[in-house]
Amino acid sequence: MKGELLSANHAAALAATLAARANRFGRGFCSGVYPITPSTECMEFLCNQVIEKGKVVRVESEHSAMGVCIGASAAGARSFTATASNGLAYMAENCVAAASLRLPIVLTVANRTMGPPWNIWADHGDALMLRDLGLIQFYCADNQEVFDTVLAAFRLAEDPRVLMPVMVCMEGFILSHTVAQTDVPSQEQVDAFLPPTRVPQQLGSTPHSLGQMELPRQTEAHRKQHHEAMRAAGAVLDEVRAEFGRHFDRELPGAVVPYRMGDAETVIVSLGTMGLTAERVVDSLRERGQQVGALRVRLFRPFPVADLRRQLAGKKRIAVLDRDLSVGLGGILWSELRGVADPGALVQNYLTGLGGGDVCPEHLERIVDDVCSRSEAGDPVFLEEL
Amino acid sequence: MEPWYESKLSPVALPDGITLPLEIRVHGRGGQGGVTCAKLIAALYAGMGLAVQTFGDYGSERSGAPVQAFTRVDRTRITNRNKIYRPDHLLVLDPGLLETPVLSGVAPGALILLNATAPPEAFADTFRHFRYAVVDATEIAREQGIGSSSVVIINTTIIGAYLRLLGLPHELLRAAFDKLGLLGDLPAAELAYQRVQIRETAESGAAAAQPAAFSAGSAEVTPIAGVAQDFPVDLKTGLWSNLSPGYRNYTPPCNAACPAGNDIVAFVQALKKEGPEATAAILLRTQALPAVCGRVCPAPCMNDCNRKAFDGSVNIRSLERWIADHSELSLPKETAAEPRRFAIVGGGPAGLSAAYQLALRGHHATIHEAAAKLGGVLRYGIPEFRLPAEVLDRDLSRILALGVQTVCDRPVTSAELTRLASEYDAVLICTGFGAPHTLGVSGEELPGVEQGLPFLERVKSTGEKVSGQVVVVGGGNSAIDCARSALRCGADSVRIVYRRSREDMPAIVEEIAEAEQEGTRLMTRRQPVSLSGADRVTGITIAEVEAGAPDASGRCRPVVTERTTELTCDLVLLALGQVNERELLPRDWEFKEGRIYRGESALPVWLAGDCCTGEGTVTHAIGNARRTVLRMLAELAAGPLEAQPGVADQVVAPAQIRFSAFEVDPPGQDRHIPIAQARQGFAEFNLGLDGPQEAQRCFSCGQCTQCDTCLIYCPDGIIYRCDDGYRVDLERCKGCGMCVAECPRCAMEMHEKNAQGGKP
Repeated sequence: MKGELLSANHAAALAATLAARANRFGRGFCSGVYPITPSTECMEFLCNQVIEKGKVVRVESEHSAMGVCIGASAAGARSFTATASNGLAYMAENCVAAASLRLPIVLTVANRTMGPPWNIWADHGDALMLRDLGLIQFYCADNQEVFDTVLAAFRLAEDPRVLMPVMVCMEGFILSHTVAQTDVPSQEQVDAFLPPTRVPQQLGSTPHSLGQMELPRQTEAHRKQHHEAMRAAGAVLDEVRAEFGRHFDRELPGAVVPYRMGDAETVIVSLGTMGLTAERVVDSLRERGQQVGALRVRLFRPFPVADLRRQLAGKKRIAVLDRDLSVGLGGILWSELRGVADPGALVQNYLTGLGGGDVCPEHLERIVDDVCSRSEAGDPVFLEEL
Repeated sequence: MEPWYESKLSPVALPDGITLPLEIRVHGRGGQGGVTCAKLIAALYAGMGLAVQTFGDYGSERSGAPVQAFTRVDRTRITNRNKIYRPDHLLVLDPGLLETPVLSGVAPGALILLNATAPPEAFADTFRHFRYAVVDATEIAREQGIGSSSVVIINTTIIGAYLRLLGLPHELLRAAFDKLGLLGDLPAAELAYQRVQIRETAESGAAAAQPAAFSAGSAEVTPIAGVAQDFPVDLKTGLWSNLSPGYRNYTPPCNAACPAGNDIVAFVQALKKEGPEATAAILLRTQALPAVCGRVCPAPCMNDCNRKAFDGSVNIRSLERWIADHSELSLPKETAAEPRRFAIVGGGPAGLSAAYQLALRGHHATIHEAAAKLGGVLRYGIPEFRLPAEVLDRDLSRILALGVQTVCDRPVTSAELTRLASEYDAVLICTGFGAPHTLGVSGEELPGVEQGLPFLERVKSTGEKVSGQVVVVGGGNSAIDCARSALRCGADSVRIVYRRSREDMPAIVEEIAEAEQEGTRLMTRRQPVSLSGADRVTGITIAEVEAGAPDASGRCRPVVTERTTELTCDLVLLALGQVNERELLPRDWEFKEGRIYRGESALPVWLAGDCCTGEGTVTHAIGNARRTVLRMLAELAAGPLEAQPGVADQVVAPAQIRFSAFEVDPPGQDRHIPIAQARQGFAEFNLGLDGPQEAQRCFSCGQCTQCDTCLIYCPDGIIYRCDDGYRVDLERCKGCGMCVAECPRCAMEMHEKNAQGGKP
């Protein structure tokens, strides 16, 4: 096993650093950062890098951190920041601006439960809160994937057909603070993969305001353009993956990651690291003769409707794991997935690992038992009810 | 920052006994470096070309908190994202952790490495199903100076023992330490490699201890809505802390400064919450003459008040006056276990204070006063416009009501002193200063050159009139009193000649200003060098004075120059202070350390006030007399000294007060009669405060006022009100210190609990 031992926070920061340096022939790099557990190590690492034509600005809040990124990106620089939880909530207003102004900023989120009461552990609810703002969203499952996805996110965000922020999510501590071997390419390889940033709406020499007042008709048109560009991003991602494979000699996982789905009757669908646990459970249950498969959703926005329909076609029982809760409805992944599963399928929601609980194979085996014993889907089930 | 590890070694064969996948769990305490320990282990295996994954169980990132860290090892990419519940190797960095469920999920045959001072045999029973090893890594790390003296860091040391226990190739150690920049710690690891003691499994065949439940547990969780109080978290986070907050009293600077030893903060705070009677009960414990001191005290308390640097000192002197003027309270006379008889020679401030303190404690006190009435300088020296006679009489009546006997209008001679000493249990001499200082210049004997004190006395007793131009020489309160009295007695002009600067004048600052407002002219840095006149003084020659090097008092020594001016004058009043002489004492009496000796033997005779200390203010005399009484009583009863109220070991400095917690609110000002009216007669000039609200300005330095700031700022909501203040839930206090930092008045402190954390 080769590779450098890096935490996922450091892997994300190192990927951003390589991308930053790769823009030294363009307009350089500028990032606004503010610490928050469990994302802090990422910005700390970034602050300690020497970046030619680059500047990391330590500001007084997440709101300003994204403000710096907006200014930098609008000026044509490559830009990146990292946050989590309530920091992301505080950043949200400027995330809207970054998205609506169509600025290709990359943002990593070390997913953490929203407080209060305070809880520092993993929960996808923080990033999913920003689901509808027009940012592309990835959810990663291991350190290498975090590194690779951040690198690819710059290429995807800066593609002239896309031009919008990309959020790369990793579960707090479970990923952010876990150290594992990570294959890190050379600067030359990254230079070749990432051409200099070109922001078409880049500010020129004449100062002017961004995002002024517009009328309903204009807004409707801009929303439609944003929506269409987001929908098209799925196809652009496939191109980026192809380029990625060509430059780095390994595969970047796609929008969804199917595992032993072919003859599966029961499927476990999830986001993030729970997807890897699901794969381990699929292996052990198949040894016992159960036809189980796992499907990990890596790209949440744009929602990969076609990929999911293709994977879930003909599946009878679908257990959807959510480390998040839309209070009053249920899991967010589940609520979206119901629209793409076969009309006759039993789609049951399980709320797992809310507030950072460790989701173990034992839990998922119980979930598979439960979904197999049902004749119809019921209300979302909390793990403690099983 | 460099990526922290990159394998450069070629793959190494695994030693016997290690099978993959391998799971390692490290138990330590926050600050011991358990996570780094797990990373070092990961680095060892990564150096063998294996896939690794390592992470901490975060949450309690605080010194002393029990923490776990994990390392997984496998041949290929590791997809297990769970914590480690069934470790193959267990490292315990602190034997105290054996009380926590460290063996949870550990199956027989697992390897255990423990950092402990005790020999391996001490753990034979606990670890009987396991192959285990013990090393005193703390001792090694301390020898090698890793960490600090209180927190020794052992995470690198123990790696050496781990390597030996596993039989891993030795060269991995240096490579890992080198890459991590920890080569300095390598000798410690090498020592641990040598010193670790390994024991083989004694028994086998037992079942693994059950791992901790995979579910969060079934204990009921308190709802948030509808529960008004903060609910404590399940985690007993008090275990994490090295420090805990506590409430304590520090000495407020006013209390430290008060010459009388009044518990100023206590009476000012009482005035905020209670009436003048309850407040007077505190003040009267130490203060025999509150109405007097509330008028004439130079108030060093106000000079040292921490509010001075913020928006102006609390007007403590006038608060004392307000209490004295608005309370009829007298403290009840106590019963002495052994009543004694005391003779007090002198009925001035010191004598009155001593008699009061003695009588209050149930003793008999008789004051022998040379003058017709009691009061000394208070009655004969301080003008009526500063201290009206009825005010003095009010304080006196409270003292006399305690049964103090008086013998007035009869000076005590040396011979009588000897007699008193034999007749009474003890004698206290409080005769004040002796003769006044003179100028020592030519013409001083001329009529019209007079001492100030007799002048003041005559003004009070005979209503003496003056006319023409008056020059007062001196800078103390008597000089000011002479000047202001002279104006009131008909002088056309009054000048004060003083040899140092205005700032050096010992007189009360406000009174200097008041004298100027009334028309007195100050001539500072001037020294009279001669007085002239035919049959009466008509002129005074004054020389300019330059500031020389500082003297013992810290003030600049005056250097008289040749540059002189002549002033015409009709009256010169000298207010130059008095000699501290003890002419009254019999020849064979020797004054030593506040009392009288005859030869080697101590007589039951003490001195108090100015004749003892020469400190020169009414308040000093009152305080010194009270302390001397306590000393006398302790000695006569062969018992302990009474404690001083309101004084602890450290005085609160302005920097220890959180000014931001207070609003700017300028000091309450005294009211005065109009200047024009003041000059016409001897009516009291200062009318004091119009209410007690000035007490609200007191910071209460170093003394809790139950303001709730600590309770409000506690991030964990674990400070509760209780009967006598607050209670901190130490089981859950993380020792963050926010309450102490936020306390506006320095009434809290952090205590060290245990250098290694752990148990409170």
